Amino acid sequence: MSTPEIVFDNVSKFYGEVLGVNRVDLHIPPGITSLVGPNGSGKTTLMNLMTGLVHPNAGVIQVRGISPFAPEKLMKILGYATQYDAGPRGATGFDFINSGLLLHGFSTAEAEKRTWQAIERVGLTAAAKRKVAGYSKGMRQRIRLAQSIAHDPLVLILDEPLNGLDPLVRAETIALFREYAAGGRHVVLSSHVLQEVDVFSDQVILIANGMIVAEGQIKSVREEIHEHPSQYLLHCKEASRVASLLFAETHISEIRLAPEGQGLLVLTRNREAFATALERIALSGIDIDGVIPTDENVDALYEYLIGGGR
Amino acid sequence: MAVYRRGYQRYEGGLTSHLERLMVMPRFSWARMVEQKFVLILLVVSMFWPLLCATFVYLANHSELWQGFDTGFKKFLAINGKFFSVFMKVQSGYALILASVAGPGLIAPDLSNNALPLYFSRPLTRGDYILSRMIVLLGLLSLVTIVPGMLLFGMQAGIAGGDWFWNNWYLGAAIFFGFALYIVTVSLVAMTCSAYVKWRVVAGALVLAFFFLLAGASEMVNSVFRVEWASVFNVGYAMNTVWAGMLDLAIPDEKPGVLECAVFIGALGAGLLALLARKLRAVEVVK
Amino acid sequence: MTPLSQIWVIAKMELGRVFFSRRSFWVYLLALFPTVIFLGHAIDAQLKVKRWGGERGVKAELLDQAQSGMTDEQVLALVGKPVTDQTRKRRARRDDDPADKQPEVRRYMMYFDGKRRVDLRFEDGKLVSRNARVLMNFEDDRRVYAGMFQYFYLRLGIFFGCLGIFINLFRGEMLDRSLHFWFLAPVKREVLLLGKYLAGLIAAAVIFGGGAMLSFLAMVLPHDSVEVQTFWQTIGTEHAFWYAAAAALGCVGYGSVFLASGLLLRNPIIPAIVILVWESINGFLPDVMQKLSVLHYLQSLCPVPVPLPTEMPAVLKMLLAPAAPTAVWISVAGLLTLTGLVLFAAMQAARRLEINYGAE
Repeated sequence: MSTPEIVFDNVSKFYGEVLGVNRVDLHIPPGITSLVGPNGSGKTTLMNLMTGLVHPNAGVIQVRGISPFAPEKLMKILGYATQYDAGPRGATGFDFINSGLLLHGFSTAEAEKRTWQAIERVGLTAAAKRKVAGYSKGMRQRIRLAQSIAHDPLVLILDEPLNGLDPLVRAETIALFREYAAGGRHVVLSSHVLQEVDVFSDQVILIANGMIVAEGQIKSVREEIHEHPSQYLLHCKEASRVASLLFAETHISEIRLAPEGQGLLVLTRNREAFATALERIALSGIDIDGVIPTDENVDALYEYLIGGGR
Repeated sequence: MAVYRRGYQRYEGGLTSHLERLMVMPRFSWARMVEQKFVLILLVVSMFWPLLCATFVYLANHSELWQGFDTGFKKFLAINGKFFSVFMKVQSGYALILASVAGPGLIAPDLSNNALPLYFSRPLTRGDYILSRMIVLLGLLSLVTIVPGMLLFGMQAGIAGGDWFWNNWYLGAAIFFGFALYIVTVSLVAMTCSAYVKWRVVAGALVLAFFFLLAGASEMVNSVFRVEWASVFNVGYAMNTVWAGMLDLAIPDEKPGVLECAVFIGALGAGLLALLARKLRAVEVVK
Repeated sequence: MTPLSQIWVIAKMELGRVFFSRRSFWVYLLALFPTVIFLGHAIDAQLKVKRWGGERGVKAELLDQAQSGMTDEQVLALVGKPVTDQTRKRRARRDDDPADKQPEVRRYMMYFDGKRRVDLRFEDGKLVSRNARVLMNFEDDRRVYAGMFQYFYLRLGIFFGCLGIFINLFRGEMLDRSLHFWFLAPVKREVLLLGKYLAGLIAAAVIFGGGAMLSFLAMVLPHDSVEVQTFWQTIGTEHAFWYAAAAALGCVGYGSVFLASGLLLRNPIIPAIVILVWESINGFLPDVMQKLSVLHYLQSLCPVPVPLPTEMPAVLKMLLAPAAPTAVWISVAGLLTLTGLVLFAAMQAARRLEINYGAE
């Protein structure tokens, strides 16, 4: 029985002397997984490795128990919307999808039915008989998405699928990812904008310079980062008094008064100890109106993990 | 109402000359070309024949070595139009292969990457673009044609003396202008193939196909119709005939003459230029 | 879906592109050019018979009396006015050898006796050569066809046609940045390669095999109907079959070589040049070396041997020693084995092939 995971076991890929990815170990469970990293970080290489378009120099890859070296098995369960713009020369949007389905072994009638369904799904029915080469960037993005979902795969891999989409289509596309992932399928997509994918991803894999720098949910990822003190904004009326009490704590590394005395910006190296200290201060009768973590947002996380690695 | 202050000022400093700007592209192209191993190998291999000919020239000019030999053999050793004709025929083969390897990389990548708008948005006309690309090939091909040819002629003139030079200066002119005509023609073919076929590889094949197929087709017409006039469409034959005219060699009566061949080459060049100008436009074509 | 049906689906998808793309136009041109030339020859011969056969035609027996050594005036008096008459005076050249006597005036007269064209050449007023040939001579035309087929069709037409068709199949898709489309289909790379090869082969064999047949018909049919009928009843069908078979097998051999070189090398033009040069100089090599050539086996299948080109310099003729033709079954088996080996190497390369468009 096949393992419903995508597994990278110590995988490295070099393009001549240029590093693609280095010693990657990953276990990607079903759901929506986003690969996030700056341009050239190795996201596309990881996706191409998963799909067999490039081969690893070292390590083993399994996609739900199937090796990428067996395209005849893998491609039956996998759909990949690449970032490559071109389709077969002279092909219309309809041909582009239909010919792929014929190779899957669908009958002509079934292939045509599925082609129209997929095209309708991405809202390109009116342009289906036009040449792909004449499509706009967004339309090409959508036809590639249609091609990847047309055979109803278990694993959907999408390279920067939200690029070039207008807000309405973007929302529809995200809804499609959610629906797809809800049935226990894999949706793996890439982006260099963490904020964009954070809202709908079940897990995020952060990659920089060909190496995995973090994986998991955004919140739990932040908890694992010890070298950067956590930042909190405390809303309280007696800011100076709270500040003097917090300075007594050894885990506090910095306190700054917020403008107009509305609160404090506190940097702590120990989140649990900070919570205990706050509880103590509150019990002593000082009003604390609110505690807001300021660096658990994706921007800060991205900056901590990838910004320094650029 | 918005008020816009004019903050932009045009650059008013000095500009390089037109010729200097024109040479920017060839400089980069030459650098890229010599990075290709096959081009380098071809350049080296193409020097063997000139070296062999130079040895021949040296030996031919030392008559004391051949005193016991008969007049037939001594006639064979003469450095004359026939000798330079053979030299030119062999070197032109190298030039053709070199053009088919190096030529297609000149325009095809610009077309496949839609780079023409980038060039034409600079102070470069289509004519400038074609000329600058052509300079690249002319420079490269002259290394295996005009340069060794003139060196060989210079060597013979140097050894044989002023009298020989005075009587045979036309051979030097024939080598220079004959090769110049040839490399211009080959460059135009290579560039047109490169402009019409976006892929370097196929364009290279097309350059070879152009010469070989025209030669084959003209021979076919000759043998099927039992005529000789179709030889004029064989670029190799036409060029050799024009060279023979320049080198003052005899041409078979029944074959097309120098004038017919020169007209064909001129028409071919004009046609290729027209095709090039038609193709090279700053537009993107959807296929 | 079985691999065989996948091969067929891929071949069907590719066939349309190979047959009907604008790029194929020049392949059709190559394949149909000989047909056009032979048809043109037939029309030309008929027009010449009409044009020359009237007032300007002369009696055959008078023409046969014109012998070497006669003066041009004697010939004119005997036979009459020729169809064409050209005189060329020799121009003195800078490096003329006074010891080497050259004729000063050459005169060329062409007569037509209703069937034969007779060319007479005079040097300094004396008849030195006489060349007569029937305008539509079946024997001659069959020899010319054999030469055209071996020197133009096999060596150049099929060679460059297959180069264009088969390199396109993989390297072309790489350059078009569309090969990933095929790699993302649920098919083995070997199956993909065979499907594409089959498409190229069908297209090339139909275009060039068909072209060989058409040109053969264009050569045969304009001749005298009795001659043609006898030809078909004796050796005609066999000849037609072997020409078509040689063309198709040429596509099999060259196709596999160019498909593999498109996969194995980034610049397949280099092996193409090497093969072209090898096939061209092959005739000058020892027998054993000659047998390492696709062309040798294809020529062995051709039913009519080709005489050496008449204009070839004597030195080259001495060096040129074509190897004896190989037996038909060895030629066919040899070509198919070579193709099998080359395709096997191509499959290995296809398995290793990665999508890296940036490197193109």
